[in-house]
Amino acid sequence: MSVESLNNELIKYENVGISFENRKVLSGFNLTVKKNQRILLRGKSGIGKTTLLKMLLGFTKPSEGTIYFRNQVIDSRTCWEARKEIAYVVQDTDLGEGKVKNLLNEIFSYRANKEELDHEKLRSFMRELELENNILEENFQELSGGEKQRIGILIALLLNRDIYLLDEVTSALDAKLKKKVADYFLAREDWTLLVISHDREWERDWMETIYLETRSWETSRTSP
Amino acid sequence: MPIYDISYTSLIFCFFLLAIPIFISRKIRLELEKSTMEAVFRMSIQLFFAGLFLNYIFNLNNGFLNLAWVGMMIFFASYTAIKSADLNVKKLFVPIILAIAFSNLAVLIYVNKFVINLENLLDARYLIPIAGMLLGNTLRGNVVGIGDFYNNIKRNENRYLYSLSLGAGMYEAALPYLRKSLKAAVKPTLANIASIGIVSLPGMMTGQILGGASPLVAIKYQITIMIAIYVSTILSATLSILASFRTAFDEYGLVNQDLYEKNL
Repeated sequence: MSVESLNNELIKYENVGISFENRKVLSGFNLTVKKNQRILLRGKSGIGKTTLLKMLLGFTKPSEGTIYFRNQVIDSRTCWEARKEIAYVVQDTDLGEGKVKNLLNEIFSYRANKEELDHEKLRSFMRELELENNILEENFQELSGGEKQRIGILIALLLNRDIYLLDEVTSALDAKLKKKVADYFLAREDWTLLVISHDREWERDWMETIYLETRSWETSRTSP
Repeated sequence: MPIYDISYTSLIFCFFLLAIPIFISRKIRLELEKSTMEAVFRMSIQLFFAGLFLNYIFNLNNGFLNLAWVGMMIFFASYTAIKSADLNVKKLFVPIILAIAFSNLAVLIYVNKFVINLENLLDARYLIPIAGMLLGNTLRGNVVGIGDFYNNIKRNENRYLYSLSLGAGMYEAALPYLRKSLKAAVKPTLANIASIGIVSLPGMMTGQILGGASPLVAIKYQITIMIAIYVSTILSATLSILASFRTAFDEYGLVNQDLYEKNL
């Protein structure tokens, strides 16, 4: 393998297996994500799609196999680097308690996020996501599911990272917004995307789609 | 003014009062009969022995022994705090006892030295009761503080992980939980301070007045003790949580799951 192609490899899952409570749900999963590649992960719920994304950030450890980020094994040291470089957006963004404005400021006070919150950008992304200005003064916990979801997307965009893990990020949006968000992300050819979504708006002919299946379900099941 | 002793037979009249909680518990099926009896039994035995020991210790009034007694109180306060918070005693005992010992001894010695101006800083009559009041409150503050802290992180695990994904360091991600649990830990103390003298006549003042002291002396002690309690509660709750980080979190910045396993 040439050095160049190695450098292009951002994320690599090597023979990764997932078990929930001693039950194998996925095994021998392999996937290489190159820079600027956009990949859609599909598969029935409970198969471990979300877990695959979490593993990349060191939130759970694979029961078997290895995960690489920039050719380095994800471990207790490298996971902190991955967390600074990858933007992770979840279905039910939970920022905690307090005004949206204060919660945003807290995120941009983290030492890893050297840049301050750019208010110009904030306004423009909010317009894009059809979020009202006064939402900043509201309590995060009182927002609707769709609003919370958009705040999650907003934060990811503001963090200005170029690798995105998007886990059902448009599930609570209306059709028009689903399309708008998906189009926005998919138009950026300089971004690397790993998308989990049941929404059709994310489907593109050119996009690589990975279907996750439980392999040898019956035999791999460990009896209690 | 004489102090009326309570005879052991008249103490029985006090126990009669327990018929009321037992009755309520029966009627509404609170199922608290057993724990009521257990608690009262434990308290009586513990206080009986404490009375004997304290009598002995007060008569002897040996500084080293007094300090050792306070050390034992700290030991049990630390153990009970972790136990009551439903957390892993083995994992947390060392950081918690260090935090509780440091904050309480520091406040205790300061008060004895600079406020009460004691000649003998380790005088049993001052050291032990004041330590008891500080530790009792510290204990409650720590149960709430450390318990809320780790249980909130567990309950809001996704929120915690999400902040890590946003680039937060472990301390940065834990900060909102630290704030929240510390507030919860000291709120009752603050409310207590603000209502004292109007709603309640605190135990120590009552004791001093019953013992024949002037209310004007008693209030000065009360002000001192309330401030000391507030300081030692917030200090020990803060230090306990911070000191527990090393054993409670792993290198990934996640809470060790065995922290939630009760043991001992």
